[in-house]
Amino acid sequence: MAKNKDKVVYKEKINWKREAALLPGYLLVLVWIIFTAIFLIWILGASLSTSKEIFTGSVFKFESGFHFENYINAWNSSNVSVFFMNSLLYSIVTCAVVILIAAPAAYVLSRYTFLGNKPIKTSLILAMSIPEVMIIMPIYSLTTQFQIRGRILLIILYIFIRVPFTTTYLLNFFASLSRSYEEAAAIDGCSPAKTFWQIMLPLVQPAIVTVTIFNFLSVWNEFFMALIFATSSDMTPVGVGLLQIVNSMKYTYDYGGLFAAVIIVFLPTFLLYIFLSEKIISGVTGGGVKG
Amino acid sequence: MKKNRGFIVAFVTPCALSLIIMYLYPVLRTVIMSFFGIESVTASVSEWSFNGVANYVKIFGSPTFQRAMTNMLLIWLVGGIIVLAFALLFAVILTSGIRFKKFFRAAIYLPNIISAVALATMWIQYIYNQDYGLLNQFLGLFGLEGKNWLGTDMKFWAMLFAFCFGAVGYYMLIFISGIERIPADLYEAATIDGANKVQQFYSMTLPLLKSIFKTNITFWSVNCITFFLWSKMFAPVSTEAATIVPVVYLYDTVFGTTGNVSRDAGAGAAIGVTLAIFVAIIYFVMNKLLKDDDLEF
Repeated sequence: MAKNKDKVVYKEKINWKREAALLPGYLLVLVWIIFTAIFLIWILGASLSTSKEIFTGSVFKFESGFHFENYINAWNSSNVSVFFMNSLLYSIVTCAVVILIAAPAAYVLSRYTFLGNKPIKTSLILAMSIPEVMIIMPIYSLTTQFQIRGRILLIILYIFIRVPFTTTYLLNFFASLSRSYEEAAAIDGCSPAKTFWQIMLPLVQPAIVTVTIFNFLSVWNEFFMALIFATSSDMTPVGVGLLQIVNSMKYTYDYGGLFAAVIIVFLPTFLLYIFLSEKIISGVTGGGVKG
Repeated sequence: MKKNRGFIVAFVTPCALSLIIMYLYPVLRTVIMSFFGIESVTASVSEWSFNGVANYVKIFGSPTFQRAMTNMLLIWLVGGIIVLAFALLFAVILTSGIRFKKFFRAAIYLPNIISAVALATMWIQYIYNQDYGLLNQFLGLFGLEGKNWLGTDMKFWAMLFAFCFGAVGYYMLIFISGIERIPADLYEAATIDGANKVQQFYSMTLPLLKSIFKTNITFWSVNCITFFLWSKMFAPVSTEAATIVPVVYLYDTVFGTTGNVSRDAGAGAAIGVTLAIFVAIIYFVMNKLLKDDDLEF
């Protein structure tokens, strides 16, 4: 409905003189975007070509047909399937568990006064600004000491690292809810915990969706922790996996496969962005916080 | 209130525990480590030997670390000017009543969404490629000789430019939100008084965006201090002087992938503390500056 209305308004105010004044602006933005588009389309073309075609500059001729086997090769022999599944596992588990930790904490921190409330809130904000280089060394020695390794190690680290952002983000949303929900629930004899799970949590659902998108993107694209802690290839996520593929290029010389791997790595977040770009963009500017 | 105590403790403990395990304990331990001689990062406390500020003296005297700091400052200054200039330019264009604003905005922000590793790979393997790369083909159109963009002399700038391309969108979004907060009637009044668009930009938009500039400069500075991924991608196997940054130097001294560097977790901790102090200084300075800002609109 609203969209149709917008379109009508647009059609009414075509003002060619005004549009002409904006022409330099259009041109600059278009040059930038066309560059981005050529970039992505060429990579897509290259992922369907042979190494020889890429080097002779005949990527878009597809003289020898579309080489979908590049994708199959990348998926199977370059281990992309393992990296992809690892990243998927890390992202999904982290997104779910982080909400279970952060949402209850955000709720009590925003609704109840108790000893330690303020210090925890301050620590959450401080934690977000602490560079990762300050924490990796002790974490590394802790994990060796307690012999935590394998996929569970990265899952735990990703959960912990997303807690401060998620809690702070949800805190503001809980604080904006009316007290009358809890009062009504208390009169009906509902316990505080039950009130939270059944009434308050569903009310902040939009905020949970937004923060989960950011958590997903952040874990999917994470690189630094994975580089240090993913010590075996069966726990490597896509970022570090792609670096390994690039490093082995000088032996395999499979450029088509490399570009296919690049496409596979960025496709999930790209698709997510196509459907949710408005929500993501308003989340970035609304919070003013880095996702 | 008393009957709520159990409920509050149960709800807040997991969060508090994760803060202690992931942040409080590691930060304290890193600070302590930076004053001890520690060879391996996994060495137990009994193997540590106190050596005062020797770690700090060592890293600041190291030519590699100095080079890393120089590179970081160059990225901060040159990259900062490029990124913030383009971000502001696009923000002004997109808020000037242009059509397809939402599409343009989404397209410029796109590089921030896709994996930076994939983005860096595309730049290295396609744009900068000497044989079939876009840049050399483009130069070829004008009959110009292609260059080896990833050679030692060009590598730093190639890396910086690729990094900036991806970063512009984020800072643009913050500028846009700042510009949209400026009330439209201010501009109407200025137009009636006869100020043209350029005058309006210099004497209204820029001063009113002061606090947004501070936000952007803070984020950009922190981003530069923790710069790692692009440097690693442009020199994936062994670290090169052209692209080294402090975090890469830390990674090499602590987790020693290059082989010829002697491992020194104490020095690594000292680098970490130094970088964290930089971040703290930036937040402190920017907060001080923000406090003086009494503009309200």
